Amino acid sequence: MSVKILTIDDSKTIRMIVARTFKPYDCTVLEAEDGLAGLAIAKRDKPDVILLDYTMPVMDGFEVLGRLRADPGLKATPVIMLTAEAGRDTVVKIASLGVRDYLIKPFKGELLVERMLRVVPLKLKSAAPERPKRFDDPIRILVADDKPAIVVQVRGALADTPWQVTNVDQAGQAFDICLNPGTDIVLASLSLPNDGAYVLFQKLRGHASAATIPVLGMSIRTAVVEQSRAQQMGFAGNISKPIDAEELKTRICQALKLETLYKYFKQCDGALALILPKDFHQSLSYDVLTRLDELLAATVESGGDRLIIDLSAVETVGLQVVKLVISALESSNKLSMKHSVVAQAAIKAACQKYEEAHSWNFADSFDAALSPAK
Amino acid sequence: MLSMDLNEEDAVSTQMDSVEQIVGSVGFTGEATGIVYLYAGLDFAKVITSRMLGIEVAEVDQDEMVNDAFGELSNMVVGHVKSRLCDAGLPCTLTIPSIVRGQHLRVKGSAQVERRIIGFRNQENRLLAEVLVKE
Repeated sequence: MSVKILTIDDSKTIRMIVARTFKPYDCTVLEAEDGLAGLAIAKRDKPDVILLDYTMPVMDGFEVLGRLRADPGLKATPVIMLTAEAGRDTVVKIASLGVRDYLIKPFKGELLVERMLRVVPLKLKSAAPERPKRFDDPIRILVADDKPAIVVQVRGALADTPWQVTNVDQAGQAFDICLNPGTDIVLASLSLPNDGAYVLFQKLRGHASAATIPVLGMSIRTAVVEQSRAQQMGFAGNISKPIDAEELKTRICQALKLETLYKYFKQCDGALALILPKDFHQSLSYDVLTRLDELLAATVESGGDRLIIDLSAVETVGLQVVKLVISALESSNKLSMKHSVVAQAAIKAACQKYEEAHSWNFADSFDAALSPAK
Repeated sequence: MLSMDLNEEDAVSTQMDSVEQIVGSVGFTGEATGIVYLYAGLDFAKVITSRMLGIEVAEVDQDEMVNDAFGELSNMVVGHVKSRLCDAGLPCTLTIPSIVRGQHLRVKGSAQVERRIIGFRNQENRLLAEVLVKE
């Protein structure tokens, strides 16, 4: 979701400069020409961050900030103050107001973006929407840890994935690498010298090109103070040392919002296959059925007319599997699609204990199910 | 913000009689009291506006746009004057910028006012700052 920025400034020039500065970014810039209007917009639109002019007629920035802080719905909204006055007293006063940051006018656009990135994650607009990354994509992982044994553990844990692991032993090296495109996620040891992981995190958030790279901390299970500090700063999570392969993969999938449902679906010639895994769990049903609706529609749009539900890997048939198949078939029926359920004899018999399964078109193999569609 | 070179020059007068001028003024009051006027020819003010907004000069097609940008520039300049005064132990507050346009503009200070004019030049264009401080 794009970031909402509210600029409250009596100068149209400054509002235009702010709007121009953030034009390349995936964000919405809301404008208010005085404090009263700004407060009304803030209440209505709930911006993620407010750029507030200090010197304004009617209601100055100081008063606006006081009202924001008195409003339970807005008191946590970060404010960056803009001021033409750089005097010591003014700076001290601004700092005491509880603003997140301040900028002295005139300012360069790059500086405004840098300060903004410390507060909210800004992303450059991309020409075309990116396809969501999938579990089987070649994710590029950068490990920053000065303990070679941990790097070995990470590499070992991810050996069965197509993911690429690069490692460095200093935070500075990691930062340099992240400035170039290519790194999808950083795993940083919270015990790097000189608070290296935290410094790295802050530096990444200050650069537009690297600001959205998620950073996972790595620490021993008992390092709760370090983990808490990382969490407060905005790390995407923590991985316990020694490295557990499943935990590591899960954390990376969560941090990168990797598409993992793809493995249950396969597009075939004129058909969509829903392949249930051996360890299918009911918790997957909702996500699978939601995605199924989208994929069935796309299949029909592209000329397909058949749904194949593959139960070959399923070991036991319970109510949850039957319910899922029923729901899937209802979805395909709505689109007037044909169907086949692939199951060996034992699974077919188990299904047919349920009355609803009597009307299913069973096939002995995937090829047999696919052939009528050819 | 202006992305242009401004070279300080000796200036004793704010006269730019041959061109239409724009004047931005911001006052300060407190332990130090006075006012700063910022003068420019209207054409140069349009160039300044275009640089501030990152647009072409031809796109600066509204008086309001120039007034606002020049007022903001005056505010920034006097904001820094105020900062220096405050740091020197002379706390003061600023007024909201105001704009005047016209030709043959003159400001006459009273006897108790110290006056200084600082000139800047960018090629053939001049930007003048007139500082009046009450003694």
